[in-house]
Amino acid sequence: MRTPQASPPGDSQANGLTASPRVMVHFDRAGRDYSARQQLVIHYDIDGLGGESVRAVERSVVWYTEGKGEEDLGVHWFERIDRSEDLPNVCPRGGFEIRLPMSPLSYEGVIVKVRWCVRVRIFFIDTRDFVSEHVFDLGGILPARAPLERLS
Amino acid sequence: MKLPRLFGKKRGHRRTGSEAWGSFAEGLFYSALVAAGLLFGGTVLTGAAGIGWPTLEGEDPSGGWNWWLAILLLLIPGALLAFGGSGLARILQGWGKSQERRAAASGSVGLRDAMGHAADEAPGHPGVPTCDDLVNSPGTILRYRLPIESPESWTLLGLGLFAALWNAVVLVLALGAGADLLRGQTDWLLLALLAGFVAIGIGGVVLFVRMLVLTTAVGPTQVEISDHPLVPGGSYDMLIGQGGTGSLRALELYLELEEFATFRQGTDTRTDRAVVGREIVKIWTDVPIAAGGRFETHVTLSIPSSAMHSFASEHNAVKWRVVVIGRPERWPAFIRVFPLVVFPADANGSPDAAIEQDAFAAGGPG
Repeated sequence: MRTPQASPPGDSQANGLTASPRVMVHFDRAGRDYSARQQLVIHYDIDGLGGESVRAVERSVVWYTEGKGEEDLGVHWFERIDRSEDLPNVCPRGGFEIRLPMSPLSYEGVIVKVRWCVRVRIFFIDTRDFVSEHVFDLGGILPARAPLERLS
Repeated sequence: MKLPRLFGKKRGHRRTGSEAWGSFAEGLFYSALVAAGLLFGGTVLTGAAGIGWPTLEGEDPSGGWNWWLAILLLLIPGALLAFGGSGLARILQGWGKSQERRAAASGSVGLRDAMGHAADEAPGHPGVPTCDDLVNSPGTILRYRLPIESPESWTLLGLGLFAALWNAVVLVLALGAGADLLRGQTDWLLLALLAGFVAIGIGGVVLFVRMLVLTTAVGPTQVEISDHPLVPGGSYDMLIGQGGTGSLRALELYLELEEFATFRQGTDTRTDRAVVGREIVKIWTDVPIAAGGRFETHVTLSIPSSAMHSFASEHNAVKWRVVVIGRPERWPAFIRVFPLVVFPADANGSPDAAIEQDAFAAGGPG
């Protein structure tokens, strides 16, 4: 099932482009909810390139931490396409299919959060790169409760 | 071509300095180190600094320098070149590459190494700590005996070290003061200082002995478990043993989930902790402990089915633990902590499948 969902505001960084790229990522599961070891099928469309020449496209599936601590990043899958003959296959339209790992599962903690996302990064010849991030849920873990007092 | 921005955007509304400009400044620093190393090394090697190298015939034109001193002097530019060069190489390697590409190439946080997993990561479970240290002690009745992680032990050790070091200083001062008195001299300032030091020394010893008595009087706590690692939705047999003499007003057993976040604050590195989940496993009241014996009982420990698994990355962690609190009748309460590792359950909801998969990846059952 294709669920067209545009990137939430703030998830994309257009670093001073003259064009305004927009990446629409379609997840194969409604609500973007996945289980460990499940297949993740992604299709995306990029528009608003405004005639800018694309030098390379990077597609990745990563997890990162959020919260009070420094950000940690883990790359589950990464692909860089920079050969001119391969670029038409991934830009402005493309897709990929991967198997998700066993862990770490998405987690909404109090001071530690683990998030999974699909990132599509576009490198241009004449201007700065553009990255679009699309969060999904892995594992269906319940959010943590408010912090409790220490036992004494 | 446009220059990088001075400020970038972090997640949410936070802003951060530009990574490109940061790398550029770092590159300048390392370049300066390399330049200093080359300059200093060149000066030493060419003799421009007035340091002559010994000839093969053993003559020493500098009138004092020899091979060993010259080589020793080259260590400084050598260190500058090595430090600056490695820093420059690291920056050049990552220059113009995306965060994901650098992480994928370096095999850093959360990535698998050549063996397929990080050193402290459970095989087949990225971001999950291994439980090797928790399963290397067999239990007397159940399969594993859990290691204790008692904050009291560290406090006791700290107090003992403080008392020993402080009283060593007091002893040195007392010997000095005693020698003065034997010579018929009285240094009142030293004696006054000594009196204060002795008071603190005695206080340290009293605190240490009191803590030692408290720790040993309540007796050891032993926790054994039927299986490890645990998985959400699983239930496990647990044995609790509490030694000591006298009786306890209460013995409480909790299952806790705690988060750890490490962050930089100025030049300091701090770790914040938050307990985000707690379940009362069992509370026993009026627990009698016979002299020379111990209180021993079995309980069932259940991990909630939709709970988070143990997680550990470079700066963040989610940890499970069993907490035992004893409330003796005549002594203050004590807390003993036993860490656990919870693996994610299998996607099909079968806890056993996850364990079997891990045992297979590790080369056999633990």
